[in-house]
Amino acid sequence: MSDNTRGVARGLRRIPRQRQTGVVTTMDGKRLVRRLERTRFTLFSRGGGIDMPMLFLILTLLSVGLVMLFSASYAFAYYYYGSSYFFVARQGVFALVGVAAMLFLSTFDYHHYHKLNVPIFGVAVGLLAAVLIFGPLLKVDAIVPNRNGAYRWINLFNIIEFQPSEVAKFALILMFAHLISVNGPKMATFRQGVVPFFGILGIVDGLVILEKHVSATLIISLIAVLLMFIGGTKLRYFLIIAGIGGLALSAIIFSQNFSYAMARVQGWLDPFNPPEGVDTWQTVQSLYAIGSGQLLGVGIGQSRQKYLYLPEPQNDFIFAIVCEELGFIGALIVIILFALFIWRGVYISLHARDRFGTLLGLGITFQFGIQAILNICVVTNTIPNTGIALPFFSYGGTALLMLLAEMGVLLSISRHSVIEKT
Amino acid sequence: MAGSQNSKIWKKTIAITVILLVLGFGVVIGNLVRWQIVRGEELRMDAEDQSLQSTSLTPMRGTIYDATGTKILAQSATVWTVALDPQSIDVDSGDDVAIARVLSEELDVDYETVLEKSHQNSYFVYVKRKIETDLRDRILARLEEEGIGGGVMMVEDYKRYYPYGTTASTVLGFTGTDGQGLAGLETYYDDELTGTAGRIVSAKNGLGNDMPFDYEQYIQAQNGYDLILTLDETVQSIVEKHLQAGLEACGALEGCTAIVMNVHTGAILALSTKGDYDPNDPFTLAPEVLEALPEKADEAVQKALKKEEEELALLEFYRDIAISETEKKEADANLRAFHRMTAEEISALREEEYDKAYSEAQNKQWRNKAVSDTYYPGSVFKMFTASAALESGAATLDTSYTCVGQWDFNLPNVDPIECWVGPPGHGAETLSDGVTNSCNPFMIYLGQLMGKDIFYNFFESFGFTERTGVDLPGETGSIYYSADRLGVTELATESFGQNFAVTPMQVITGICAVANGGYLVQPHIVDRVIDAEGNIVRSAETGYKRQVISKEVSEEVTKILLKNATSESGKNGYVPGFRIAGKTGTSEKIAKWEQEKLENPDAEKQYVVSYGGYAPADDPQYALLVFYDEPQIGTPSGGTQAGPYFAAIMKEILPYLGVDAKYTPEEFENLAASTPNMIGRTIGEAKQLLEEAGFSWSVVGYDGDNEDAQPVYTQVPTPGTEIPKDGNVALFVAELTDEDYTEVPDFVGCSLGDCEYLAGLSDVQLVITGSGEGYAQTQSIDKGTRVKRGSVITVSFVNNSNVETATD
Repeated sequence: MSDNTRGVARGLRRIPRQRQTGVVTTMDGKRLVRRLERTRFTLFSRGGGIDMPMLFLILTLLSVGLVMLFSASYAFAYYYYGSSYFFVARQGVFALVGVAAMLFLSTFDYHHYHKLNVPIFGVAVGLLAAVLIFGPLLKVDAIVPNRNGAYRWINLFNIIEFQPSEVAKFALILMFAHLISVNGPKMATFRQGVVPFFGILGIVDGLVILEKHVSATLIISLIAVLLMFIGGTKLRYFLIIAGIGGLALSAIIFSQNFSYAMARVQGWLDPFNPPEGVDTWQTVQSLYAIGSGQLLGVGIGQSRQKYLYLPEPQNDFIFAIVCEELGFIGALIVIILFALFIWRGVYISLHARDRFGTLLGLGITFQFGIQAILNICVVTNTIPNTGIALPFFSYGGTALLMLLAEMGVLLSISRHSVIEKT
Repeated sequence: MAGSQNSKIWKKTIAITVILLVLGFGVVIGNLVRWQIVRGEELRMDAEDQSLQSTSLTPMRGTIYDATGTKILAQSATVWTVALDPQSIDVDSGDDVAIARVLSEELDVDYETVLEKSHQNSYFVYVKRKIETDLRDRILARLEEEGIGGGVMMVEDYKRYYPYGTTASTVLGFTGTDGQGLAGLETYYDDELTGTAGRIVSAKNGLGNDMPFDYEQYIQAQNGYDLILTLDETVQSIVEKHLQAGLEACGALEGCTAIVMNVHTGAILALSTKGDYDPNDPFTLAPEVLEALPEKADEAVQKALKKEEEELALLEFYRDIAISETEKKEADANLRAFHRMTAEEISALREEEYDKAYSEAQNKQWRNKAVSDTYYPGSVFKMFTASAALESGAATLDTSYTCVGQWDFNLPNVDPIECWVGPPGHGAETLSDGVTNSCNPFMIYLGQLMGKDIFYNFFESFGFTERTGVDLPGETGSIYYSADRLGVTELATESFGQNFAVTPMQVITGICAVANGGYLVQPHIVDRVIDAEGNIVRSAETGYKRQVISKEVSEEVTKILLKNATSESGKNGYVPGFRIAGKTGTSEKIAKWEQEKLENPDAEKQYVVSYGGYAPADDPQYALLVFYDEPQIGTPSGGTQAGPYFAAIMKEILPYLGVDAKYTPEEFENLAASTPNMIGRTIGEAKQLLEEAGFSWSVVGYDGDNEDAQPVYTQVPTPGTEIPKDGNVALFVAELTDEDYTEVPDFVGCSLGDCEYLAGLSDVQLVITGSGEGYAQTQSIDKGTRVKRGSVITVSFVNNSNVETATD
């Protein structure tokens, strides 16, 4: 509270319209609705238009991602699916549909999500439960396929396949953004600022961990904690709960076989000489690919590692192929694109018209930002290998569709942000 | 309130964003620098390594040529290894059965075995190694006929061929299944012959298939270098023929060796160890050797049984003489504890001994005696003692000594050394007489005149203390007394070639030094190493190591050895016209005998007989050493057992090597002449021409008038045959009838006079070789053969008198 004055001053300077609109909303709802009606379909104009830098970043990442997916999946698709275009063609279709969905959703006033948050959360939890029911419980392989001993996917008539945990991430972000914006100053209390959040997080995490999906659990928890922290939950509650959560998590991770966990850590620390029984093939091949790129890369399309050395190069390890073909410089450019994406997402969110927009935007931005960082960390063996896809790059039609839809939400927020949008 | 809350959100968000961007991307970028920039090159190479598959290309092993450069002694040829890839055999359509049938028929392998192999869970199973190309083509054609797509692989390989079989086998050596040299030159020059393996490097994807992009690197295999030897196949074959004949004649137990060397360059023209093997099949023993193995094994078993009996008898004896009760008890206990071999143990022992004998026999046939064995050179060494004495000035040609049949040291407790001739000895001798008489006391005298230091210096200079460094594997060192351990008796015995052991290679190198004006040459058998284009990669070192004796001394000793070979103890090595300088040697294997006597008091003393010399004496060119180890038939003597074969070899190789015969007037008288061609001439012309040439004549099968006008239908001996200079040529005017034939008598074992008598009876003509003294050893046409009357039979005589035996 010591630099309260400065904070107020900065807030006033940076988001003067936000306060105004807040006032307008309460004072003259009809006028606002009319204004919204007027600006809703103005795609690219200042004020009511969407944020052009963000759109540009999204489309750039998407294009680079598609090109790299084509290159990375080329051999794998050829050898296992008979056509080098197998993955890129599908991803391309989803990208087109996804961009359309994004643009459409950007016109959808995000305030409606205030009302939709409970149904969406209900659907997410229902899907997670469905995975567990049709998966480990009933073993209906047609709906919930068993992949390497884990059940994470829902397959609908072999047309659409998606991970309910992706839906759950958005649902959780939405729910938290709603609760925080509704709670306001009460976030500082235990009853309002801690209990409901950890209750919700507990439900989601519990269901996801039952899928044996550690990476999703971690990401969901991280986003949740970040949103709560930003929303105003007192730091001391985190410390207590982080301790409990950490203990629980390590108990889960190490419960099955401690020595195996230690061996995996060893394999992570020295992937070239892994202990007996630990398979570091993927990591080693990834590092071979990254190393082969050196400063300038072997040239686009010239990767050697994608020829069935790096397993499934179109999925989680696509960044290794980026590094190999585009070199350190190319990898750096991609990283800068992601950094700009995070920065712009944060910028949009902070300039959102209201706290709900801020928190929803931050949640979405952080979700994909964290995912990108963690993915690159895995690929470079900075952290142990765990299944995290690289947004905009990794293959996965439904996931891309969801990503672009969430981008639509972000862009919708940007329409109401008070920022320079061109 | 709202404002402060908003500003808090700002702060927290910006803090988190900065942490995310800096920490997350910072660490990631740091790691990228580490992997891509710092370790990039290393990882790139590792990645390439895993994707590059390298197939080795076997180089062709070099060829070994003889000195002419045209005769191939060893060569590699392409052969094929037949293997199965059971994974690609189509069992459903019965390919396995068809493959098993074809392969078992063509390769002489068991049908069931092949069938079983075709079902193995594998990608590569050997069926047969090293088959010839035409057989491979036939199999492939048959498989195609049967419509078999895959599953049979033909892998290229090489096989080593030795076109001349056993010829020079111990020199050439042989190779193993992977083409590596295992003996002889194949081992010594293995690196040169092997060449460098080539590689095909191609990029493969993670499944081992070819990459779609073009990446292939072809590094040609560099074939091995060829060797051109100094060894001449013609000379080698002549040497082997006669060496083998001599081996059969004397039955040397421990084999034999002969070396022909160019005295000026040290080039080895022939080197043979008989009792050798066929390098095409080096592991097989000669049938007679194989037959002897069970007997050897039995002997060893008998020996073990006998030892057991003796031990038992000893224990029983102890029991019988035991006095006290405790002693008796102990003896009884020992007896009870004594273990007698059971029948199984005996048969196991026999098997073990058989295996041992088998591998010993293999090693023996592979052994190159000329470099791997040492022997007492015996009297051959006397040429070195004489050379040293003359060179050092300790003696001159006029130095004389009176041999009384023994050398008395005049020292207490030292027995005198007897001369082989026994009392009363050779009497007064000059140095020349001493050598030609092979007088032991004379040599001792020369040794004492020089003293041990001078003697040892020359011993060393002649190269008897060091390995010759010849380019053959397995050369052993010599055994001798160093200067400080050379006592008076050791000096005495060494002076006449006993009590130290050297290799035949060292001896012939020494002989070359005596012959060539005193230079110690570097013996070698590879003249040059050449590459595929014929460029010389390396040439043999033909320089000499040092001068041991002066040219004058060399000439003086040569004269003495020429005299020795012409008329004295060495004359069995004599070849008319070729001025042989030589020395015989007969030495006792004392050390071995003494060893054997410990086990068997009745053990017989064994000998080594040899003949070393060179020709022609007026301009020495080639040295030859012939050496038999432990002769069993006849009296051991270098003169009679090695000499004749020395002569036979020299007689054949010298004309081949371009040494012209020069006859002394005396030799010329006895010389055989070649019969001129009279066929087609009239009898009259023939009579006149034959008389002018010094031959006599006879007309056979014509009693009519006007004999001289008749044409000569044929003649005996046929034109160009060697007959005595005053021999008879029978002229026939008509076709020969049965009566014109006669049977060859048996000359072997007869004196010269008897031979002439028998020849007269059978109406054949004699050509005598050798000394003409003693008894006939061989005849050129076997007894009982029907030949035309007047045919020429060559009978060789070997002098048995005046043969020295070694004494010690």
